[in-house]
Amino acid sequence: MLIPCPYCGPRDVSEFTYQGDAGRVRPDPASTDQAAWNAYVYDRTNPAGDHHEYWQHSGGCRSHLKVTRNTLSHRILDVAFARPSTAHASSRRQGPRP
Amino acid sequence: MSPRRGNGGRIDRTRTIRFTFDGRPMTGHAGDTLASALLAGGVSLFGRSFKYHRPRGLLSAGVEEPNALVTVLRGEVREPNIPATTTEIHDGFTAVSQNRFPSLDFDVGAVNGLAGPLISAGFYYKTFMGPVLGPLKGTRFWMICERFIRRAAGLGRAGLAPDTARYERMNAFCDVLVVGSGPAGLMAASTAADSGARVILAELEPRLGGSANWSAETIDGTPASEWSAEAVRDLAGRDNVRLLPRTTVWGYYDDNTIAALERVADHKPAPAKGEPRHRHWTIRSQKVVLATGAFERPLVFPGNDRPGVMLASAAERYAREFGVVTGDKAVLFVNNDGAYAAAAGLREAGGTIAAIVDMRAEISAEARAIAAAAGCEHLTGHAVVGTEGGKALSGVKVQRFDAATRRLSGEPRHLDADCLLVSGGWSPAIHLASQAGTAPRWDDGLQAFLPPAPTQAWLGAGAFNGRFSTAQALAEGISAGLTAAAGKGRPAVAPAVGNAAPFSEPAPVFEVPAKGKAFVDFQHDVTAEDVRLAHREGFVSVEHLKRYTTLGMATDQGKTSNVPGLAIMAETLGKPIPEVGTTRFRPPFAPVSIGALAAERFGDIKPERLTPMHDWHADNGATLYAAGLWLRPQIYGLSGETVDQAYVREARIVREAAGIVDVSTLGKIAVQGPDAAEFLDRVYTNMFSTLPVNKARYGLMLREDGFVMDDGTTWRLGEHDFLMTTTTANAGKVMQHLEYFLDVVWPDLRVHVTSVTDQWAGAAIGGPKAREILAACVTGTAVDNAAMPFMGIVKGDIAGAPVTICRLSFSGEMAFEVYCGAGHGTHVWEALIEAGKPYGLVPYGLEALGTLRIEKGHVTGAEIDGRTTAHDLHLDWMLSKKKPFIGSAMLGREGLVSDERLSLVGLIARDNRPLNGGAHVVDYPDEERPRYSLGHLTAACYSPALGKHIALALIRGGKARHGTRAYISDPLRKRFGEVEIVSHHFFDPEGTRLHG
Amino acid sequence: MVEMLSPLQPVWRPGSHGNFADGVGVVLSETQPGSIVQAAAWPGSERAVIAAIKTATGLSLPDGAGGGVATEAKAAFGFAPGRFLIVADDEGLADTLVQAIPISDGTVTDLSHGRTAIRIAGVKAEWVLQKFFAVDFSLPALPVGSGISTNHHDIFAQIQRTGPDRFDLYVFRSFARSFWKMLCHGCDEVGYEVR
Repeated sequence: MLIPCPYCGPRDVSEFTYQGDAGRVRPDPASTDQAAWNAYVYDRTNPAGDHHEYWQHSGGCRSHLKVTRNTLSHRILDVAFARPSTAHASSRRQGPRP
Repeated sequence: MSPRRGNGGRIDRTRTIRFTFDGRPMTGHAGDTLASALLAGGVSLFGRSFKYHRPRGLLSAGVEEPNALVTVLRGEVREPNIPATTTEIHDGFTAVSQNRFPSLDFDVGAVNGLAGPLISAGFYYKTFMGPVLGPLKGTRFWMICERFIRRAAGLGRAGLAPDTARYERMNAFCDVLVVGSGPAGLMAASTAADSGARVILAELEPRLGGSANWSAETIDGTPASEWSAEAVRDLAGRDNVRLLPRTTVWGYYDDNTIAALERVADHKPAPAKGEPRHRHWTIRSQKVVLATGAFERPLVFPGNDRPGVMLASAAERYAREFGVVTGDKAVLFVNNDGAYAAAAGLREAGGTIAAIVDMRAEISAEARAIAAAAGCEHLTGHAVVGTEGGKALSGVKVQRFDAATRRLSGEPRHLDADCLLVSGGWSPAIHLASQAGTAPRWDDGLQAFLPPAPTQAWLGAGAFNGRFSTAQALAEGISAGLTAAAGKGRPAVAPAVGNAAPFSEPAPVFEVPAKGKAFVDFQHDVTAEDVRLAHREGFVSVEHLKRYTTLGMATDQGKTSNVPGLAIMAETLGKPIPEVGTTRFRPPFAPVSIGALAAERFGDIKPERLTPMHDWHADNGATLYAAGLWLRPQIYGLSGETVDQAYVREARIVREAAGIVDVSTLGKIAVQGPDAAEFLDRVYTNMFSTLPVNKARYGLMLREDGFVMDDGTTWRLGEHDFLMTTTTANAGKVMQHLEYFLDVVWPDLRVHVTSVTDQWAGAAIGGPKAREILAACVTGTAVDNAAMPFMGIVKGDIAGAPVTICRLSFSGEMAFEVYCGAGHGTHVWEALIEAGKPYGLVPYGLEALGTLRIEKGHVTGAEIDGRTTAHDLHLDWMLSKKKPFIGSAMLGREGLVSDERLSLVGLIARDNRPLNGGAHVVDYPDEERPRYSLGHLTAACYSPALGKHIALALIRGGKARHGTRAYISDPLRKRFGEVEIVSHHFFDPEGTRLHG
Repeated sequence: MVEMLSPLQPVWRPGSHGNFADGVGVVLSETQPGSIVQAAAWPGSERAVIAAIKTATGLSLPDGAGGGVATEAKAAFGFAPGRFLIVADDEGLADTLVQAIPISDGTVTDLSHGRTAIRIAGVKAEWVLQKFFAVDFSLPALPVGSGISTNHHDIFAQIQRTGPDRFDLYVFRSFARSFWKMLCHGCDEVGYEVR
């Protein structure tokens, strides 16, 4: 499987670390709502289909990426930096390359 | 007469190659495979079958070979189960046959053939249930038998000698990967290359050209083999093309990631200097052209496995490519026209055709003409119903057969024959497409599975697509090459094909319904009757059938047997083949050497991490110990000292004088930025924003779920500049944890984290004399209590190198951590050692470090095991109530604060004998039946400070048990004894020594 | 000033090795720059940091991920969003950059001791690197000057192409000796010279 890192270009999945479900919402740090924390830490949807998830390019630029991956086909439908403000031109690889 | 005839073939008859087979000296020519050379030498018996030990010869001439497996010897190294058909000979090449005892010609295992009915389908499953009746019921009798059965049943024997060959892995990137170099592949590669694409052409055979090498056709007016040789020369001369002969593409993975094995040096007496034996390629290609051709299928009839029975195309190949004729009384048994080309090929090479038996009543005029030219008996509407002979074929029995009704009639008739060439049609080699995609499509006309619609970026061409003529292959190659290269070039005109080989769809018959052992899967000895038996026993799904009979599960992965097996299954079920379905092909397409997969990741070239002072340790008597990838000094043993004696001495001297230990392996992370302090407040359970510059603080980190993740000190080097240290083992994990929170959870924080573990060398110097030693060598700063209070940081120099020193202690003594640039590490370390000599300073290793920390009750990874809370480790004083932090919301959960949790205590052995980590603590003094574990030991040592064997343990009730007694139970190490439960602060609980 | 000790010292064997009978395919060397420094910009401050690098070193970084520039004495390239590695023969570059880049624009981290710089040059340099890294080293994919971050199993590497047949690799110092041995092993086949 290749993950097209916006900075580095497509790289082998072995350069990446799975960093969990990107759909979970972290409660306010001061919140004491145990149900909300429990949902954030433990509840996962495990869909057969499109799944939003974080991958860190740990063997490359170390950015966390928000990836939409189809769990049935392993097809990657969308990749973006997890950090929304990473938008400068120096953060985009020019031209497509394998 | 020698089977090697005339002057034909693609071998170099001027070069004689000497090799041995089963100890017998043999010769062949350059360009021969082991199979062709042995055939030329008159060998017909190549091996014994898997289960019944039946004599077997060559079935094929290629990678699909199920029978002729040999063991290749390279010195002491044995490589079993290598097809003779894909192995090139070289001078000194040595192979032996396998699965026979004592010899290939006389094999005692052949009695298994008589026991046939006992070892039919599902034999293993039935057998290893064990006897359910009789005197051996419920015994382990069958486990004893298994040893003997396993020896009798099987393939080659693996060797015990270590494989000394070099293997390598390689990555490649290209626009177009073409798999297969027959006419279709060659055209695809050259068309794509013309368009400017980066092209890789992989071919599993040594010689590129595929069927052009053994075809009687002409292409573009020249013999096919000359046309292909010219096409290969042209490709080899291009900068944008890489040719990979002897390279088996074995796996098709997601996103066009392709795995291939190149046999770089197997065909040479020895590899060149530094050259790998095998090179494993991982190829990432934008597009893949699959031009993998097709496999001819055998027919299923009694005695179809006798040596001398061979695929028709294989015989044609041996004749045309190697100049070896397989028979002077050859009989063909076919269900299609294509095989008639074999008759022509054999005859042109000097062989004689005795008869052509065709199960079809009606055949084409073209085929009829070939038969007439061969001058042989032509029996249409007939089938072979048996074979005769022993280790070689002497004759066949034929009978009238109606292919439409599948009925035999009339009396069987004998034909003399020295070889029987069979053809049951062709199966496209769709393995890679099947790996890459969905279920294949059944074609009723071709009686074959065709590739599925692509779900990845590949295109097919030629016989792979079920387009069996060379003209179609050339045309499809051009079109695939052009499409794969994104259509940038102009389509070439396909060269004309002359003397085209005959072709027809096969009669839809896979099996001749005659009585006798008729094999479907030769390599696993699965018969047609086994398939029916499996059905009778309820295995009706094709997946179950495969597993129960082991059909298609041998090293050849059923390349010749899958479709016939499925056809018989379908007939038994009374369903059409597409409804029965087929199993998906899985990687590898052909066996892959484990060495090539491991490549450089074995032996002494696995990566290791060395500290800046590594060489000093090695030169000064350290025993090095692997801690993760790091190599760390375990002890610095004096001559004659045991490990125990050494660490006890080292630990004692630390408390009496001073010791120095290399702590460079601690994870070090630069945490920088305007929000660094705020970030640390959120990450650690305690406050860091209040930490003054040039001070350090011990910090505790939790996971989101409230369990302890890691601990360490963090130093404030500037207003916006922190140096965080982590435990050695968790450095990478903590780094990722911080990066995750900065990227995902708090992207608004302006903080950078950078791994600086390797930037700094660290030496911890501790003991009553530590300060005096520092004072003796540090310049540029005072090191007294005023300049360096507990947790204070100063900058100075040692022997001219800049150092940063922090007063902190893991040993419980007055201690300092001295950091300097890693490139100065040895220089500074040596200066400290020198300065310490008058004070009795010793270097100490991990064992003494562990001893000192156990005496102090400090926790490490042994206690921070992912299941302990701050409360369990008595670190709850570090949980700030003033702020939320990672884990703060979850740590108060019921299960995490229960009194029943395991918590940290100290243990002292009452019997003054050593304790071991991992031992359990129990309440009952019953050594034989230990029960009701209270918890377990996490670390143990002999404490020189206490003069006792002590341990840290996590036990239920924890503190409440202080002062009570229990027992440690360690049955595996035969250790049981009474212990006293005490506080984990064994030594100097008030910390007076720390403050000097 | 105390000299930095190379982690390669005990395994440093100058001269030709491996299959060099017909000439060497690559030359391996340790460039031992005096300074290896990371400059990291806050999102939005990338241009300011690029400008500061130019002021401090004279190196003009092109835009685009992995963009870089190399001279004989200095080099710089992007290896991650907003992050740049700047290398110079002279020591003390970290201090210069700290002066040039205010904390409001980004941070400077000295890695001079923490990374070992290995140069591989020669007609077989791409071939050898291709054994270790699953990254396309062809010239169109990785033009001269540009850089990448990748890894070989556990060994993290930042690589800059500093010539058509020349690459500078920055690996963690603790792994450098192990990596060097692997690199030499991988070069055996093509023949290599250490100098």
